[in-house]
Amino acid sequence: MTPQQWERLKNLFQDALEQPAHERHAWIAERCADDVTLLREAEALLATHETVGTFLEEPARVDPGDLETLIPGTVIGSYKVIEEIGHGGMGVVYLAEDTRLGRLVALKSLPSALSMQPDLRQRLRREARAAATISHPAVAVVYALEEVNDHLFIASEYVRGETLREEIARGPIAPDRARAIAAEIAGALAAAHDAGVIHRDLKPENVLIKSDGGVKVVDFGIAQIEGPEATRLTRAGSMLGTPAYMAPEQLLGQTVDGRADIYAWGIVLSEMLTGHHPLQGRGDTRHVHLTGPFATVIARCLHADPSARYVSARELVTALGSDSLHKSTQGIESSHEGGLTPAPVSRFWWEFHQAVTALVYAVMVIPAWYARGQIGGWQGRAFFIAVVTTVVVATTARLHLWFTSRFYPGELDWVHRRSSRWIRIADWLFGATLVIGGVMIGDERSPLAIVLPSVAVGVVVAFLLIEPVTTRDAFKRSGISPSS
Amino acid sequence: MPSDPVSELMPLVYDELRRIAASYVRGERPGQTIQATALVNEAFVRLAGERARHFNGRTHFLAIAALSMRQILVQRARARNAIKRGGGPQRVTLDDANAANVEAAFRRPEGAPGDIDVLALDEALSRLTALDAELARVVELRYFGGLTVEEVAEVMGTSPATVKRQWALARAWLKRALDDGVRS
Repeated sequence: MTPQQWERLKNLFQDALEQPAHERHAWIAERCADDVTLLREAEALLATHETVGTFLEEPARVDPGDLETLIPGTVIGSYKVIEEIGHGGMGVVYLAEDTRLGRLVALKSLPSALSMQPDLRQRLRREARAAATISHPAVAVVYALEEVNDHLFIASEYVRGETLREEIARGPIAPDRARAIAAEIAGALAAAHDAGVIHRDLKPENVLIKSDGGVKVVDFGIAQIEGPEATRLTRAGSMLGTPAYMAPEQLLGQTVDGRADIYAWGIVLSEMLTGHHPLQGRGDTRHVHLTGPFATVIARCLHADPSARYVSARELVTALGSDSLHKSTQGIESSHEGGLTPAPVSRFWWEFHQAVTALVYAVMVIPAWYARGQIGGWQGRAFFIAVVTTVVVATTARLHLWFTSRFYPGELDWVHRRSSRWIRIADWLFGATLVIGGVMIGDERSPLAIVLPSVAVGVVVAFLLIEPVTTRDAFKRSGISPSS
Repeated sequence: MPSDPVSELMPLVYDELRRIAASYVRGERPGQTIQATALVNEAFVRLAGERARHFNGRTHFLAIAALSMRQILVQRARARNAIKRGGGPQRVTLDDANAANVEAAFRRPEGAPGDIDVLALDEALSRLTALDAELARVVELRYFGGLTVEEVAEVMGTSPATVKRQWALARAWLKRALDDGVRS
């Protein structure tokens, strides 16, 4: 809309409102006889005006807690807020720049309700000092406790990566990997306990997986607050510790030691393996039945009585090492294990499909080589490179699936989840490349001009029509939904 | 760097708003949510005594407060969305009743049904600014700042009648933009 049009529309609308309600439409129509677009706009606005009700009449409402968040650019002491990166029970976490040292930090602002209490402040200071002494590669370093006016901030190492929660949300984690992550967390806990710091709020949200695969546990010692002050903070949105991961003694407000972290660690390990919280749906948490890898280890961690748990976090690492992976103990329910159970017979055709497809793709490299010559020039080379790349990706991933299905059926679910999207992309690119190659062959008499597009059609039909069927058959019984 | 007076005074106003909000958070006063109007007026009363000289009168202050409010609400809504999105499209992991309760306790109360989608409104308002900056300003002051028609007229240096006319058009335009936004 041009400024002139808008100006006209504006005047029209505002003048129309001066007319009696029942005459407005006729009034507008009369003045817009020359411009149908304008008429339509004005009519629509007028119609909206009549049904606008209380829209925007009530001024915006603010959740006071929202005002505790800082807008980017805010300067706190020597820190400059860049953006909000997380928000949890213990306040808001920002990515900030430490302007003195020129490095990025994670700046956690604690709820003002906390920072207002002198004794809590004192305790937090002590705790931050202790947390700063923990030295372990899997512990995010606490740099400083900053006190600015009425507000408390904890500056700590900024870890780029995703949370363990995000990884779990994509599905269960393969036992070997879960073991490695759990061992790293246990190591971090052991180092912290040695320094006299109890985490108290260990949960998948507080475990970060760096892009290089390393593990970092964050927020050490920040939840070291208990007692009546803490319970006063149960305003929606702020609470200390996360009940779902709290050991019974912690929930009851009793004295807590490192064994509360061991309890939380057991829950996290179980959640990594199954994709969900082990106590889910169970009213009675005193009787937990676990199956699958590390069931004995987890069961011992989840004991309601702290003295029945492992004594130290170091023991956890040893326990992980001695537990043979596929041993099933204390098994009663097996419903969660569906995803890990192979269904060999119905899976044959799926495996066959994967193997044959991989073979066909690989063979297509030969005609592609000849087509390269016929296309010629850099286009020919580009075409051939595209074919080889997609073939390599699609066949490698498919053969890996086939191999996993044959020899490590227990991990097929996980591998399938991870690779299916790559395979799908490679399939599409492969098909598209063949079609483009076929079109680019100048010589119409060349059989390849026909063969390449035909194979492309075959490939698309195979993965759009046939593969979903074999996949569904193969995975139906094991509870994996074909992800396409 | 920030030579324009608004960006210099923003932190001051923002800080005061935060301080007042904190007293609500500490439970000194009841209420889950407060109207922007209340907050803005209170901030003015508090700041008027000590630092009023920074502002060219009350209207200047109100204008800045409305702008802060808009930024705060948009920022917050954006962060909330980002957190909800998590690691992309996925099912919720804690599908169990127990953990779901726990999760629910941690989630901030979402707005009541029929509430305004702040991000969509902000986006529509930016489009309106391109079309007619004055109109958008009226909305910012009225909705985000909680100013009355008379106050808006004072801030903008126009008459209440003009503000009323602008307000009617802006509301109809925005309502239409938001309803359309659902489709496109």
